[in-house]
Amino acid sequence: MTVTATPVLEVRDIVKTYGGVHALDGVSLSLAPGEVHCLAGENGSGKSTLIKIISGVERADSGAITIDGTTHGHLTPNEAIRSGVQVIYQDFSLFPNLSAAENIAMLSELAERRVLSSRSRIRAAAQRVVDDLGLSLDLDAEVERLSVADRQLIAICRALVNDAKVLIMDEPTTALTYSEVQRLFVIVRRLQQRGVAIVFVSHKLDEVLAISQRLTVLRNGRVVESGDASGYTRRAVSKAMTGRDVSETRLVNDVAPDAPQLLEVEHLSRAGGFDDVSFALRAGEILGITGLLGSGRSEIAEAVFGINPADSGRILVQGKPRRIASIHDAVDAGIGYVPEDRLTQGLFLDIPIAENMVAASLDAYRTRFGLLDRRRIRRSIADLFGRLRIQAPNSSAVVRSLSGGNAQRVVLAKWLDRKPAILLLNGPTVGVDVGSKEEIVTILREQAAAGMGIVVISDDIPELVSCCHRILIIHDGHVVAELAGDDIDADEIQRRMAA
Amino acid sequence: MNGTRGALSEMNGRVDNAFSAAIDRIHVAHGVGRMALLLVVTFGFFAVLRPEIFLNSVNLQNIGIAAPEIGVLALALMLAMLTGGIDLSVVSIANGAAITVSSIYTHFATTQGADAAASMTPLVLLAGLAVGALLGAVNGVLISMVGITPILATLGTMQVFNGLALVWTGGVTISGAPAALRSLGSTAVAGVPVLALVLLVAAALVAVLVNRTPIGRKVQLQGANPVASTYSGISKRATLMTTYVTSGLLAGVAGLMFLARNPSASADYGSSYVLLVIVIVVLGGTNPNGGSATVLGVLLAAVTLQVVSSGFTALRLSAYEYAIAQGVILVGVMVLDQVKFRRRRGRRAMSGTAAPEPATSAPTH
Repeated sequence: MTVTATPVLEVRDIVKTYGGVHALDGVSLSLAPGEVHCLAGENGSGKSTLIKIISGVERADSGAITIDGTTHGHLTPNEAIRSGVQVIYQDFSLFPNLSAAENIAMLSELAERRVLSSRSRIRAAAQRVVDDLGLSLDLDAEVERLSVADRQLIAICRALVNDAKVLIMDEPTTALTYSEVQRLFVIVRRLQQRGVAIVFVSHKLDEVLAISQRLTVLRNGRVVESGDASGYTRRAVSKAMTGRDVSETRLVNDVAPDAPQLLEVEHLSRAGGFDDVSFALRAGEILGITGLLGSGRSEIAEAVFGINPADSGRILVQGKPRRIASIHDAVDAGIGYVPEDRLTQGLFLDIPIAENMVAASLDAYRTRFGLLDRRRIRRSIADLFGRLRIQAPNSSAVVRSLSGGNAQRVVLAKWLDRKPAILLLNGPTVGVDVGSKEEIVTILREQAAAGMGIVVISDDIPELVSCCHRILIIHDGHVVAELAGDDIDADEIQRRMAA
Repeated sequence: MNGTRGALSEMNGRVDNAFSAAIDRIHVAHGVGRMALLLVVTFGFFAVLRPEIFLNSVNLQNIGIAAPEIGVLALALMLAMLTGGIDLSVVSIANGAAITVSSIYTHFATTQGADAAASMTPLVLLAGLAVGALLGAVNGVLISMVGITPILATLGTMQVFNGLALVWTGGVTISGAPAALRSLGSTAVAGVPVLALVLLVAAALVAVLVNRTPIGRKVQLQGANPVASTYSGISKRATLMTTYVTSGLLAGVAGLMFLARNPSASADYGSSYVLLVIVIVVLGGTNPNGGSATVLGVLLAAVTLQVVSSGFTALRLSAYEYAIAQGVILVGVMVLDQVKFRRRRGRRAMSGTAAPEPATSAPTH
């Protein structure tokens, strides 16, 4: 394997702006055949935009993309696929109700424009790829029955059926356990030997540095570091990503010793989700819950908020046992929830910001005649707008027009207006730019200081370290560790999560 | 420090309110302006073509009497559509209410004499409205508790209500209506038919319900994004139940208006109204997927289609040709909507106000 070969993919001086904001500002990158290249960067650094431009989904404002010697001025998704660029997104974009074999080979079969598709031909094509990579996969199983790791392998096989020369994998290790990651890396090495260039987009630096030959770090749409992966430590990369030393930012207010218990969760279980989970939360406290994707961390929050209620166990809110069988029950009990999927679960996209903000608290604005007190609503909205520093032309703008960080602040505003005793936040800074991220954490600290109990569910460890009084680590549906105070340490958490 | 901040945020708030008021006006103007224009154009068209018939006071009076019942039915359907649903059974419910009132009244009139029956009028009318609300509640239970898709649930209940009415009346037109109701149907205040006033009052109440009450706003939110509204603690059951009961109640009012115009009731009255009412509601600027609607737009659309209908009569065109016209108007306006929407979307894509990082499909950390 020589890295001197002509690059299979070369992008030069890519510029992309969204409404005056430079998402990418002159980014260049080149990939040699058989190279594993790590693309690192925080949310909003431009990683996703770059991938979209390379795969033809978005068009760059300027710059050139050369794939296999052909320069494309404006690349379409079809051209990108035909030139051998394949992207595996985090959700894998598989068809859950089709078999593994169909998922692997159906699209290429369709691309051949035959009149009739043949089950046996599809099966054979899929088998060929699976054998080639030396995998053991049940090709007849429906994909929705397979594990996350197997689904990922199917997505990789599908890319290979389509003759991938460049394989871009978005956060490939987020949902995998330690041994599954090792299995993935074995396959990645086999792909390398076949001359496939691989781009790993990730923030799990330990893992990625272990397998990458080269590394490019993006920050605010620019390449801030690029070079041989062996020359970097995890700390150096993380500093390059954020522009500062992350570990220094831990800032936690003291909780009053006599602060009342707001939430007590006792022996909560839900089949297939989590088992015998107990924890408590006091007023003014920020509790972190972390674990790998699929560990049960989200399911616990969903049970407490009544989305998928627990099968057994007790939930006490402010000392009183509460039956939480629906979201309505949870909200009634004084619990708010900022969902991970804020676009569909948290926001009314085509409705003005102002109306989104009062969506959970309409009943509080009822006047004696049963009508809405519009003056009081306007005052609350103006207040929240200022307090959360939402950047929008005015509160009548629809939420769809906002950036990730501002949209998340609207979801927060909705709950702050409701004034719940307890606020659960699932992935509060996913898809949020670096600046907003800090401000959101600051808002959480302020709310905690004002007496709210806050639970942050996240796999963003630096963020948890920066603001949590205590952190629960979930593995396989169980609480495997609880860290508090000075024991809270990013490396320790990472180690316990993967264990 | 705190004082200046307070003053600042107050000023901010005031500027903001002026803004939102302006935007609201434009927003309303979208559905309403279009319908107002269409109304003027159609009215002018027929007035020029057949002034002697179309501008005749009898014809104008007829528009003022026929449009209201359709308008009230349209309001009922608009509420359902606001939640992202539909209520195909509104006409059947209206007929159910009319038949109830007519049968009870005739029963009293024949057994206890006309005077006794007349004194019972308020109760009889209330019974009609109660039947409307009750049948609406049946829809509400099927949709909000059993969880049947609104279009299928109300298609079913439309047939059931209709069938029950047929069985009850034996398929014939029954006649008889309280005298007070009949006189309302033929009275005008300052040249405006009372029925038209009833429509205006109903419209005003619906507008207040939708825009100024907590439950009304919840209904809108439910239509705009059912998942987010559940996640905001809004009870889907309560909002849908309220919606369909109110829709049934309005249909009941329309049923009384049928009787006020014409003192007879039958199971198949207004059988062409269902589609007409859907056309009106959508033309009036209601989003068929839910989340937004304007009462004024729906009112204007109801009048416009009545103008077209009577214009066609003036031109001696048939009901079939009127049906074609309804379809053409609906499709035409929808096509214009799409063209406008695409152009706006195209502009947005170019200026690119979208967030740089998508949060749903591929979150990166």
